[in-house]
Amino acid sequence: MCEVIATVLENKKIAENVYSLTFYVDEEITIRPGQFVMIGVGAYLLRRPIAVCMAEGGRVTVCYQLKGGGTKFLSDNYKAGEKLSVLLPLGNGFYVEEGEQKVAIVGGGVGVFPLISAIRAYADKKDVYAYMGFRNQNCVCMEYEMRRGKSLVIATDDGSMGYHGTAVQAFMDDYEKIKPDVVLSCGPTPMLRALKNAMEGKGIPVYVSLEERMGCGIGACLVCVCDKTDGKHARVCKDGPVFEIGEVKL
Amino acid sequence: MANLTVNLCGVTLKNPVIPASGTFGFGREFDEIYDISVLGGVSTKGLTLEPRAGNPVPRIAERQGVILNAVGLQNPGVDEFLKNDLAWLKSKTRVVANVAGKTLEDYEGICAKLDGLVDFVELNISCPNVKSGGMAFGIRPESILEVTKAAKRNLKKTPLMVKLSPNVESIATNARAAQEGGADCISLINTLTGMAIDIERRRPIIANNTGGVSGAGVKPIAVRMVYEAAQAVEIPIVGMGGITCAEDAIEFMMAGATAVQVGTANFTDTLACPKIIEGLNDWCDRHGVKNVSELKGTLKLNGR
Repeated sequence: MCEVIATVLENKKIAENVYSLTFYVDEEITIRPGQFVMIGVGAYLLRRPIAVCMAEGGRVTVCYQLKGGGTKFLSDNYKAGEKLSVLLPLGNGFYVEEGEQKVAIVGGGVGVFPLISAIRAYADKKDVYAYMGFRNQNCVCMEYEMRRGKSLVIATDDGSMGYHGTAVQAFMDDYEKIKPDVVLSCGPTPMLRALKNAMEGKGIPVYVSLEERMGCGIGACLVCVCDKTDGKHARVCKDGPVFEIGEVKL
Repeated sequence: MANLTVNLCGVTLKNPVIPASGTFGFGREFDEIYDISVLGGVSTKGLTLEPRAGNPVPRIAERQGVILNAVGLQNPGVDEFLKNDLAWLKSKTRVVANVAGKTLEDYEGICAKLDGLVDFVELNISCPNVKSGGMAFGIRPESILEVTKAAKRNLKKTPLMVKLSPNVESIATNARAAQEGGADCISLINTLTGMAIDIERRRPIIANNTGGVSGAGVKPIAVRMVYEAAQAVEIPIVGMGGITCAEDAIEFMMAGATAVQVGTANFTDTLACPKIIEGLNDWCDRHGVKNVSELKGTLKLNGR
């Protein structure tokens, strides 16, 4: 975990309201799949937490959705060559055990981007089955990266591309066929709830990556907590963002 | 190299820069990024007698130049802090234990537990984010006097710092009340109560509806209040509110602060505190100031 000044290599629109930002960090860093970074944006006091999509040899790519003034400023002002203040790598990330060979990946909306880091990390050694959901075909992006595993099903809410329905429905349709050893997921809370219900009683570990408004990003300020099923709070930035699905209230 | 040490109530700090309560946990997370022994001290996350879960999320929002937070004093309780964190933090730097309570007895109990074990007890009587987070004690001078006396009775060895709220009628009157109650020093300002609205949902962004406003935008208010408090009391002042760089810290010292606390800036830049310390040294060197403590109260008002 360190503070760095990174150099922007590319910052471009890749789908409706979604940008891909690649920057270069001149330090030895190891980023695990599912970890995130905090990016300082102009005069904004809070940094924007954004999941890492790809990381290779000092080149880091994050994808972000235009949400408010901060992300708008980021998309408008940080062109190639600009300097960027970044804190990284943050959070625990995904972890797949040695014996877990069949990895199902279920993502929705901007939740697909941290999952791409998992597909990239495990595609060579594991059997990766990806199910990625989008609102419609205009939102679909980075298909090439999502295709690195054994299979990819793209689902759209309106049926304009691929499976007509949600990523969870597409995954459950295939469930008996693939019989995964572990499931990794990220997406909107209703999607995670649907996954939790669908996986109830199957006895297979399901890991979800959560999102919350953050302050420090390193676990000190206790702003970004989530409710755990044991009644306690966990820090999304430090104890997460990845949790076992039964561990947290959704 | 300027001499950055300051003496606060007989305790020597290696420099006047202290991360503010609630922005720095108990220091462990920031210590993964830089060695926190470079700091003058650390003000801990607000401690209570019993563990507290805090408020629902979202707990934070941002507006131009400021943030709002309503964490609601989530903390593991003073006993866990004593058991797990104090020895480590003490081995690093000076420890300012920030404490909050619901009742006078809470404040008495927690002070008694910490007496002699920490370098300062900072009485949080100004948390705006919980119904009984001490703010009830921090508004009126009579109750400030009462809670300060109660805390002081239980602190035989450790100096008492009383943290004042800016959400008050007269900061000078309240500073004097703390002094009269036996405070060894005061710290100010805590956050200003504010609200930020999500106009699409027509609801406040923060689950608690209101939150404490902090960050660069509150600095002029804080500097003015530190100045007014400095005119009103003889005890030392720890100034805070929107400090992001060494020049900001110097403003507070000129207004009358002996030391400063840095809060929100830790979120914008995790290295804010070490950069401020370095910047203080540079500024003093450039201006021929041998001891940073010489800056205290050197403000001259413009003639009318």
